[in-house]
Amino acid sequence: MSEPLIRLDRLTQSFDGVTAVDALSMDIEKGEIFGFLGHNGAGKTTTIQMLTTLARPASGTATVAGYDINKDPLEVRRRIGYVPENVRLYDTLTAAENLVFFARLSGVDAPARRVRQVLELLDCTYLADKRVGGFSKGMRQRVGLAQAILHDPAVLFLDEPTSGLDPMGIKMLRDLVMRLNTEFGMTIFMNTHLISEIAKTCTSIAVLSHGKLVFHDRIDAVTARYGDDAALEELYLSLTPVGRLAEVA
Amino acid sequence: MQAAPSPGWLIARQSASFVLRERTVALLSGMFVVLVLISAWLGWSATSTVNRIYLDAAAFLQKSGQPVPSNPVLDISPLSLLRNMSVYVALIGALSAIVIGNRLVGLDRKAGVLPLIGIRPLGRNAYAAGKIAALAGLILALGAVAGAVAVATFLVLPAITLTGLQWTQLAGFMAVTTLYMAIFGLIGLAAGAGARSETVGLLLPVTLWLTLTFILPQLTANLNPTAAINPISALAIPPDTSFFHWAAVVLGPVSLADAYKFASAGLLDYLPQGIASPSFIPPVMTLILATAVAAAFAWRALTRLSMTEGEYNV
Repeated sequence: MSEPLIRLDRLTQSFDGVTAVDALSMDIEKGEIFGFLGHNGAGKTTTIQMLTTLARPASGTATVAGYDINKDPLEVRRRIGYVPENVRLYDTLTAAENLVFFARLSGVDAPARRVRQVLELLDCTYLADKRVGGFSKGMRQRVGLAQAILHDPAVLFLDEPTSGLDPMGIKMLRDLVMRLNTEFGMTIFMNTHLISEIAKTCTSIAVLSHGKLVFHDRIDAVTARYGDDAALEELYLSLTPVGRLAEVA
Repeated sequence: MQAAPSPGWLIARQSASFVLRERTVALLSGMFVVLVLISAWLGWSATSTVNRIYLDAAAFLQKSGQPVPSNPVLDISPLSLLRNMSVYVALIGALSAIVIGNRLVGLDRKAGVLPLIGIRPLGRNAYAAGKIAALAGLILALGAVAGAVAVATFLVLPAITLTGLQWTQLAGFMAVTTLYMAIFGLIGLAAGAGARSETVGLLLPVTLWLTLTFILPQLTANLNPTAAINPISALAIPPDTSFFHWAAVVLGPVSLADAYKFASAGLLDYLPQGIASPSFIPPVMTLILATAVAAAFAWRALTRLSMTEGEYNV
């Protein structure tokens, strides 16, 4: 069996004595669309920040695309793309100017040409020469996705990508993510709250509660065991504090 | 095949180009250039007037058969006509440098793009080096503008010819001027990277600048009332009291405006005889040490800037 593309090994993070991510260990295979579920403050974003090398873990480690996040952060960064929950860009620049800057920083050859290609791929060439300052959330999310795939990464990290999007925006993003996975072979690591999206998009899921991994399985196994979306939601709630509160009540 | 530019160079180029688009930076830099031009014009105008009067008087004296005294313009060093420039550098030049330094990192923080930069294959050191290189480039550009104005002034004045040594002294003055602005630029950069809010990031270096420019020179040199409004206070011997003695010992090494004042006066030949910097560290050395310390602070703040929480709180 081949090495998993992402391997977390007792990954831990704490802030001011509070453990945000507690000895998280799991594997994510190449080509997966991985859905990372959890309540607010469960530690999902902190996990992504460690995997993308934006923050150093307090202890433990992880490998992404074969490189250790602590030992080879630059090699990890060459192989990943990241879309934060709120995509922030230089508002005074156009979308194309922003993207050319990030493409250059990623070491992309012929950045202007690559930016045009990516904007065409995401069907948003009309945004190229517009200043980002006037963009809606959906437009920003598209440019955010564009900056993440400029260098054709092996792994794409998405932090709550559908947060604040309208149903059309959510569908558009879902279609794009599926396309990047199937056509370009990108492995997707996605934090989300939307269980319906998990069922429609992901190939495997994990649930984080108070920094601890409480569930991890392939989606087909989960749906075979629990059935439809509603059952999936019940499973999620039973694993999270809200669900436990309901049980107590 | 052309090698790809290094990430540090990309950061430097992009940051400098962003900052130049900022209205505040453009306004302050423009004011600095205008004041430098005014200081040169004042020196040129004064010298030309004295020279013209002398030539008229010399012609009259010659015609009436009386002895002609030497031209007073030639009795003083021509470099001293730039003395006003050191005042403008200490005022608007240092302030412009603070704003440039602050905006170089403040723009990234305000835009909230640090996570998108942080996941690119460049180390924190490359980011810090890029920002410091951008600052160095912009401060050098300001210094070069001031230098070009100074050189042009001496080239167009008819009665004045600089010797080789004087050209060297002028180059030294421009180097010291650039160094002085760089200190404040680095302080602005450090505060911009280290402060939690944008307001504090700007207020902190401005307060430091006010202290260094207006308060310390009075404590280390004299209590001349003009020192309160003129950062380049009168070059006079400080009162012979134990207070001024100890103030010079303790505060002298950090009294940067004073160090710049004495370094400029020495290089532009207008330091009165018998007067020297009250500090035990030579003025130019004080400025070099201050640049090194400010650079260390800026480097530390930039390399420790959190790429996840780097955004301003306010």
